[in-house]
Amino acid sequence: MIDPGSRATSVSRTQIVPGRTACRPGVARTMLLACLLAIPVWVVAPAARAQETARAKSLGQKLMCVCGCNQILTACNHVGCTYSHDMLKELDQHVARNESDDLTLQAFVQEYGPTVLAEPSTKGFNLTAWIVPIVVPVAAIVLVSEVVRRWRRRAVLAPASGPGVSPELVARARDEADKGSNE
Amino acid sequence: MDIFGSFALLLALIAALYAFGAGLAGILTRRPLFTKSARNAGMAVFGLVTLAVASLEYFFFTDNFTMSYVAQHSNQALPAFYKFAALWAGQEGSLLFWSWLLSLYAFSALFLNRSKHPELMPFVGVVLAGVQIFFLVLNNFVASPFQVLGAADSAGVFHLARMSEGNGLNPLLQYPEMVIHPPMLYLGYTGFTVPFAFALSALLSRYPGEKWIHITRRWTMVAWCFQSVGILLGAHWAYAVLGWGGYWAWDPVENASLLPWITGTAFLHSVMMQEKRGMMRVWNIWLVFVTFMLCILGTLLTRSGVISSVHAFAQSSIGSWFVTFLGIIFVVCFAAWWKNRDYLRSDNQLDSLVSRESSFLFNNLVLLAACFAVLWGTLFPVLSEWVTGSKISVGPPFFNKVNVPIALFLLLLTGVGPLLAWRKTSFDALKRNFAWPLAFGLIAGAVAFTLGFRNFYALICLILSVFVALSILSEFYRGARVIASRDNTNLLMAIGDLTMRNTRRYGGYVVHFGMVLIFIGIAGVAFNKDVQKEMAPGESLAIGSYRILCQNFDQTANKNFQSERATLEVFRNGRSAMMLYPERRFYLASGVTETMVAIQTSPLRDLYVVYAGRSPETGNPVIHAYINPLVKWIWFGGLIVVLGTGLAMLPNRRAALVLRASPERSWGGAMAEGTTAVGAVARRVESHD
Repeated sequence: MIDPGSRATSVSRTQIVPGRTACRPGVARTMLLACLLAIPVWVVAPAARAQETARAKSLGQKLMCVCGCNQILTACNHVGCTYSHDMLKELDQHVARNESDDLTLQAFVQEYGPTVLAEPSTKGFNLTAWIVPIVVPVAAIVLVSEVVRRWRRRAVLAPASGPGVSPELVARARDEADKGSNE
Repeated sequence: MDIFGSFALLLALIAALYAFGAGLAGILTRRPLFTKSARNAGMAVFGLVTLAVASLEYFFFTDNFTMSYVAQHSNQALPAFYKFAALWAGQEGSLLFWSWLLSLYAFSALFLNRSKHPELMPFVGVVLAGVQIFFLVLNNFVASPFQVLGAADSAGVFHLARMSEGNGLNPLLQYPEMVIHPPMLYLGYTGFTVPFAFALSALLSRYPGEKWIHITRRWTMVAWCFQSVGILLGAHWAYAVLGWGGYWAWDPVENASLLPWITGTAFLHSVMMQEKRGMMRVWNIWLVFVTFMLCILGTLLTRSGVISSVHAFAQSSIGSWFVTFLGIIFVVCFAAWWKNRDYLRSDNQLDSLVSRESSFLFNNLVLLAACFAVLWGTLFPVLSEWVTGSKISVGPPFFNKVNVPIALFLLLLTGVGPLLAWRKTSFDALKRNFAWPLAFGLIAGAVAFTLGFRNFYALICLILSVFVALSILSEFYRGARVIASRDNTNLLMAIGDLTMRNTRRYGGYVVHFGMVLIFIGIAGVAFNKDVQKEMAPGESLAIGSYRILCQNFDQTANKNFQSERATLEVFRNGRSAMMLYPERRFYLASGVTETMVAIQTSPLRDLYVVYAGRSPETGNPVIHAYINPLVKWIWFGGLIVVLGTGLAMLPNRRAALVLRASPERSWGGAMAEGTTAVGAVARRVESHD
């Protein structure tokens, strides 16, 4: 939970709503003016009514906002975005007309170009976008399996022997062991 | 002071050039004087770049708006905290910051190894100096942060200009995490230069054995840890500031930071093959090379404007410099490998496909597949435009479809790999190690399915997460049980003892556990909900078990920004539970508006509320509410990952029996002449696994 009191150090709690002002009149007037100037910026914001249905949400996730924010349409809340509001509204209209998914997406492509689709199509060169990330790892696995198979074929078990010990040393060790056991 | 900063940067470049030249001379002539002199010059670069950074910070704190960079990225009302962070707010400053971190790493590597590895270090110094030269050339001649405002008159006399006020810092950066996130990422990117320098040097000098791996392990882990923290902080910042309800959008710059992290992860795993079995030498060398190249590629993507991204700096000609540098690195690496490829021949072969080695091999393959998929998706729009002439988008749906299966397979290997033995694992051992964790994982999946969880990937993720978590816990339990029974201590103490005996292994398990938590958190996305509604005071919206009542909208202001804020009362199951205050801020200096999200977070779900502005039609405020389950697990998992990495970097402390002949004294203090006792002295020794 955000505690408003904790914000007091960084944000002035001055209220600039008329009748609730708590600071000097001159300062309040300046701030009110500044806020009024700022209101147009707040006004240009994503609309509330778009993507209210599950289908519109689902379709919205297949589209990109074309403002350059690199977000999918339903996620773009880019302040001052001049595209997403209209696009979402348009999407709602297509859904309200009960148009098919393909038709709706096609309409967006015609209006905004192919960059509006959130993922590459499965036609033409764009099909490689889907194929290559599958083919390359599979090819790598095949290649590595082949390398491993060759490694295993070449692997020769080394004879299980220790370092070379001379017969004299073995005899001496036996003698010392015998002496030790006698003691 | 601008001359001071510029001069320090120029001297730093000269010092780096000298370090490079003298280092080469030292290698060729084998004269220690050259080598020592080159090392000192290499270390001096750090001091000089530090002076340049201090000089630029001084300009920020004194609001010197004759400096172009300061005027662009600061203003008088900017809090001191953010004036400090404004250093890396733009291209010129961030490149200077990059150079500074790089020089810090170079200084540390040269200083800490000043009396070690005499055959290797001259090469390391030369490689580090080479990389520094590139960045210092950019700092001095391509993107200087010390440019002043003004113009020359007809007589050629330059007249300084001064702006009365700066443009201010980008509001997106005016958030505490943004002060930490870029330095963490930069520490990651620049940190990979050190393992790269050691790897290339070991190859060039044909340094015997696996010593370079031992030297660079900690450096790699430090860089990897910073990169992990940087990525997670970036994700948290996106979540808390951008206000679109998520934390990862597969933006090209996000992807660019992920690429070296993935290859770095692969390297941290595959080095164990080289250390234990003398295998995968070529693979490891190339993994380090590729990781470093991906760091540079990431910088290229961020700065060249090749790919559109919200993060990218303005399009500039700097991209061609990075392409050239990338080309040089590739040529040098390839030539070094080609010339010395016989040096990288493996000692051993793979004995069995069911072994620790093969699991590492698969882990590496899967990681590289993930890396390739991300790189492919990131670059495909450029490729498509080049081939077909029309640009397309490759957005989150593509990356999710391609990478989610790969990530889940990786999660499976996270559980399987550590439980396999080196060389070969018997079927009985497999059964013993996997039966219970797998059974519990399947039971958890069945319970979740019965409870109505129908998302395929989320279910698989749950089963695998339980499996991996239990297999990790069982590893701790098995080892600790032996110690507890032998030392007659409790299980908790035994777990601590076990971990400290093999910090690398058990630290690694802790990292894996953290990753499991992150995966669980990510799987929560499958159950996200959101509702958007226009809300006049007195209206409410319902989402999940919450009802959000709009009480009021008010406005606040300070010197830096003005804010419009919603006061929302949140009811849960009919009871008043909390107040939330989402807001929009209008930053006066930059004229930019940003959201401040209100988040009520708990281990099970986040209630995430955005004040989305006013409806253009009705003028009513718009509230967008989300329920994002399990997000907190991601941040907590990140903390565990950092903790585990720190643990894995600690030296092992192993109780060892050291037989020592020591004279014993009697109680009377008289030495028992001629007698010695072999005292078994247990002491802590430091070693590395």
